[in-house]
Amino acid sequence: MSGGTTEFVRLTGHRAFAQRLVLATLTGRPVHISKIRSSSPTNPGLASHEISFLRLLEAVTNGTSLQISYSGTTITYHPGLITGSVAGLGASAGDIIEHTVPAGCARGVTYFLIHLALLAPFAKAHMNVRMSGPGVITSATDAGDISIDSFRTAILPLYGLFGILPARIELRVLQRSCSGGGGGAVEMRFASQIRLPKTLHLNRTPGRVRRIRGVAYSTGVPASNNSRMIYSAREVLNPLVSDINIAAQYDKAPRGGPDSKNNKGGIGFGLCLVAETNSEGVIYSADLTSPSSGGVVPEDMGKKCAYQLLEIISQGGCTSWAASSTVLTLMAMGSEDVGRLRMGRDVLGSEEVIGLAKDLKSFGCSSWGLRQIDQSDENMTDYVVSVKGSGVGNVGRKIS
Amino acid sequence: AKQLHGRKRPFRAQDLARLMYDTSLAPIQVVQKWRGEDNEGQAENIEEDSDDEFFKKAKREDDDLTEDRTVPLFNYEALEEKWSDLDAIKDLKTRFANVHLGDDEE
Repeated sequence: MSGGTTEFVRLTGHRAFAQRLVLATLTGRPVHISKIRSSSPTNPGLASHEISFLRLLEAVTNGTSLQISYSGTTITYHPGLITGSVAGLGASAGDIIEHTVPAGCARGVTYFLIHLALLAPFAKAHMNVRMSGPGVITSATDAGDISIDSFRTAILPLYGLFGILPARIELRVLQRSCSGGGGGAVEMRFASQIRLPKTLHLNRTPGRVRRIRGVAYSTGVPASNNSRMIYSAREVLNPLVSDINIAAQYDKAPRGGPDSKNNKGGIGFGLCLVAETNSEGVIYSADLTSPSSGGVVPEDMGKKCAYQLLEIISQGGCTSWAASSTVLTLMAMGSEDVGRLRMGRDVLGSEEVIGLAKDLKSFGCSSWGLRQIDQSDENMTDYVVSVKGSGVGNVGRKIS
Repeated sequence: AKQLHGRKRPFRAQDLARLMYDTSLAPIQVVQKWRGEDNEGQAENIEEDSDDEFFKKAKREDDDLTEDRTVPLFNYEALEEKWSDLDAIKDLKTRFANVHLGDDEE
């Protein structure tokens, strides 16, 4: 594609690894990442979830080639075309790509899905992926992944703002699991492929929180944990919102964990809370899960999760921390028009968002414009970020 | 306003736009600078630079251990304290639809 003269985008460090590979694949630019955990004496180089993500990328693309150095601290990645799940090209059973995450992967399945969902609208065919194996954790994790429920209710609806119909995205949780064991199974069918994402203008008021939805999940532990979490979360939230509905989800412990003889893996409980506002596309989410070491009380978890939600709401802006990278990446990939997004100060001024801005720039996207809203008001700490789309769009769709 | 003139005001949009694309700064440094937190840090750094190599190594290793997160890390005790405060709740109430300010416990 690039005609022999391959100019690598050179980056360092292990942060935002998946994010960078997604950008490389979307823009079609080869990337060279060095110094991946190079100073760590215990586990240098790529971690198991990153290797697994690379395998997943290989499965959904055609023509991807990559080299990893012996120590795993340096990688060169030549992106291929995003094909999606074409029969005979990685897709084994029918039209679905089976991806097995090995044991020892500490990241939740949303780590893969958030980034995979960014590629999916630009695929040539439908992107159907089934994630299974002893490393799949559907709950939120201590490593900071959101739960599958937040992903479905707080991230996927945002795709609708870009003209990517959420109705054509199906996410099925076949088996739930919690951190410390895995063994879950998730199926994502992404049938909404588009030519170019629409330009987003989300620069008006973020609106007021109208209702709160949520899912409390217990996997392999008594279902009473659910009601205890819900009760304490409602204690905090009830004075603020009248419309609260938190579902309780109980599942048996996943089978076939890492140690199937003495299977204690993958059990636990957690809570996900999603606040919807009356302005379209503004969703805040909070997630909390019991650590795999155990020793937490469900009441505490419910309360903490509710406080986390309040904190995230108070950060303001039209996008929460968890969703910002998805929204901003899709904006940057959109048509060559300036889209606007209102962001809270703490969301914009976070390491991840700044890092994304830098990465987008190094992949050839244009810089962001920043403007503060109403500088006279002291309490107004929101900013409007203007992102010009790069018009990369869908290579596969251009022909049709 | 005159008193503030000497000090650089943190959180200015122009500053971030300038800092953000400064390739010599890591994202974390950008954030600190923008927040105006780097002043004390700078003084500390000079001191530390004269320290032996050992400590610097440990610090970098710490960088290596931080992973990408989707859910931010919160100090939940601080959060609980913050949101147990009725004033904070009251401030936040403007962000909620159909809140009945009258029928509250107070």
